Amino acid sequence: MKKLLILAAASIILTACGSSEPAMMHSKNDAASAIMAAEHEAGRAASENYEWRDTGKLIKSAKAALKEDKYDDAVKLATKAKKQSSLALMQHDANQHAKPAF
Amino acid sequence: MKKLLVAATALSLLGMMPMVANASPESDLKAFRGFFFKRFPGVKLQDFADGIYGIDAKRKEEWTAMEEFPPYEPGIDIGKKLFAKYKVGSCFKNGGIAIKQNYPYFNSKDGTVHSLEGDVLTCLEKNGVDLKAEKITTQKGKLAAITAYMAFTSRGKKINVVVPKDKRALAAYNLGKQHFYAKRGQLNFSCADCHAYNSGRMARANLLSPALGHVSHFPVYRKQWEAGGTDALAGFGTIERRYGGCNKSIRAKPLNEGDEWKFKQHPEYVALEYFESYMSNGIAINGPGIRE
Repeated sequence: MKKLLILAAASIILTACGSSEPAMMHSKNDAASAIMAAEHEAGRAASENYEWRDTGKLIKSAKAALKEDKYDDAVKLATKAKKQSSLALMQHDANQHAKPAF
Repeated sequence: MKKLLVAATALSLLGMMPMVANASPESDLKAFRGFFFKRFPGVKLQDFADGIYGIDAKRKEEWTAMEEFPPYEPGIDIGKKLFAKYKVGSCFKNGGIAIKQNYPYFNSKDGTVHSLEGDVLTCLEKNGVDLKAEKITTQKGKLAAITAYMAFTSRGKKINVVVPKDKRALAAYNLGKQHFYAKRGQLNFSCADCHAYNSGRMARANLLSPALGHVSHFPVYRKQWEAGGTDALAGFGTIERRYGGCNKSIRAKPLNEGDEWKFKQHPEYVALEYFESYMSNGIAINGPGIRE
């Protein structure tokens, strides 16, 4: 019985943890800056012909969120876009001397 | 003694590295062919012109049946008419007939590699054709139909692409080679990952084709593209269209995406075609081919 109670309590705690989103209170400026940073990084990846497929869409969605005053969403999307471009640039650098594996 | 052996091996490996990096097109071709012949024992060089149908007997049966009543024939007829209408033959050797096997080629005058599609576009502009008004774009439709007709006249001719001893030609070849082996996109795949190391294996429902012979059947007539349109040219696409689609599949942004590339080709894709064509030298053209 005791074990059952512990298990139930643990599952309630875990569920509560999973559903609680960290509170983000970003401003309009934060969102605009995040988008600008994402666009800059995307430009760098584009200049190397190494952009990822969905980065542009993420930036577009971030801009739409900003327009709708959903600043947290805008920051989240722009950050994801920036991360994609940073990874693309790392990928570009890592593949400069790509050669056959046979 | 063991340490000495390890050191000797390491040194010999280090010594080999620059040799691999600076491999010549000739040695690249030898290694490339060797890989595919080893991977698909018994498959002859010309069989690779048939893509997945050259390595899978069951699928070849279906494909051969499709080829009995080829869906691309009406498109070739349209391509032939457009070829005559725009006087395309006036810009090419032999009136543009049976020349596809020599493309892409390096032009020493301008120091660049020319693709067939690129030369046809130049020709159309030279002949005063308004590409925008005639709705002629680089990757599909009328241009693909014209080059599909030109490929059709080259059927049976062996691919004969030359990389001359010119730094600029070699640079273009190496750019294409680098694109082929470099990983890109969110999935972190290279062309080689799918079409060399995993060729003949399944990627979801698709059998991955070997890169050897890729270029022989282009422009291609794809059932998938056909389903997306209503006219006789809907199924046609140039190799550049296919490269863009491949890049998209691995979640990389296609280099030729956007209006900027509607009327011109991306040089990196031309370089990739140059590399792939050189690797496929000696395989007879069988374009346009039907694909899934």
